[in-house]
Amino acid sequence: MDESREAEIISDVLQGDVQAFEALVRAYQGPVYALMLRYVGDVDVAADLAQEAFTRAYARLETFSTGKRFFPWLYSLALNVSRDWMRRNGRDRHVFMDDAAGMVRVEDRPDERQAMDDQVDGAKAFDHVMGLAPKYREALLLRFRYDFSMQEIAGALGITTSGAKMRVSRGLEMVRERFTEVNDGHER
Amino acid sequence: MVMNGSSGRKDAGRDNAALDALIRDAVRRAPEPVPPDGFSARVMAGLAPRRLSAMARLRLWLTRPRSVTFTPLRLVPAMAAAVVLLAVGFLALERVNAPVAMDSSGQGTLPVRFVLHDADASARAVSVIGGFNGWQAGASTMRHDPAAGVWVLETRLPPGDHEYMFLVDGRPVADPQARLTRDDGFGNVNAILIVNGRHEHML
Repeated sequence: MDESREAEIISDVLQGDVQAFEALVRAYQGPVYALMLRYVGDVDVAADLAQEAFTRAYARLETFSTGKRFFPWLYSLALNVSRDWMRRNGRDRHVFMDDAAGMVRVEDRPDERQAMDDQVDGAKAFDHVMGLAPKYREALLLRFRYDFSMQEIAGALGITTSGAKMRVSRGLEMVRERFTEVNDGHER
Repeated sequence: MVMNGSSGRKDAGRDNAALDALIRDAVRRAPEPVPPDGFSARVMAGLAPRRLSAMARLRLWLTRPRSVTFTPLRLVPAMAAAVVLLAVGFLALERVNAPVAMDSSGQGTLPVRFVLHDADASARAVSVIGGFNGWQAGASTMRHDPAAGVWVLETRLPPGDHEYMFLVDGRPVADPQARLTRDDGFGNVNAILIVNGRHEHML
């Protein structure tokens, strides 16, 4: 969503137009819900936590700095909601998404070997990303899926900009290593 | 999870740049789980209308971004008007930001009154906890006024914004009469009391 449009919506909400907030919910419900699902691995709990994240964002909207992108701020709040839930439930698990949400169906494309190989590789790469520790996984997702700047990643994850660069770099390195190990393993 | 041995040795031979590109592309293009139907409606149903002071609403209205268009010929009178408005606004701000007058006690504090309705007299002990008393239970105990059916605390606070909540028989309770509130991030709602020199207090 365009930043100026976001600023208008936020201003409207702060002046009492509650319904204006729904545009922000619709715009970002997908990534927030996906974030929760990655952390808790349960669709019902993920929906509850995503709702809590938006409710918290609504309650704290006065503290949002206009002139910045809304999504990184929302993501930071959502991460805190998920961490609070993990602490309350004594959990710190890594959730692996089954089949990368059905990204690839090899048997559907028997005649396109190269395309199939690329898709299989892509699915494997994504699985490796999902299998990283959350701090590296989230950094890669924020950088490459949601196009966050390093400063925005740092803000969302509560770390320094150099720390954000390190996490992205280290995350990529770990995925490369796992990718190579798996394929080498298949050769043997 | 999809696994296929056909990729073979070619992957091991990929250089880092190609592999990074593959990873970036995979992350960007992977499908995202879809929230349950009616999710946004469910979120919206749980939101309460905001409570803002008239001053806060005015400030937000003034700071709301707007599109402005002008033609060069109109620029000079428009700038002159802007200068006048800025001067008036500056003078107005000077008045708003003027130091709060010291009260007769000389402490720079102002009288405030916290009230919690309890017509059934169901609570045994009520106190106010907030930033001004370090959120200490028992630091600001309220007295019960059975005739009025309320718990009352009269005290003095320095000008500024003060977050607080009631502690009713040990349970934190948000002030139901608060006009301005803030989520504390831990599942509670703090009321905000604005104390300033022109209005004794605003709850």
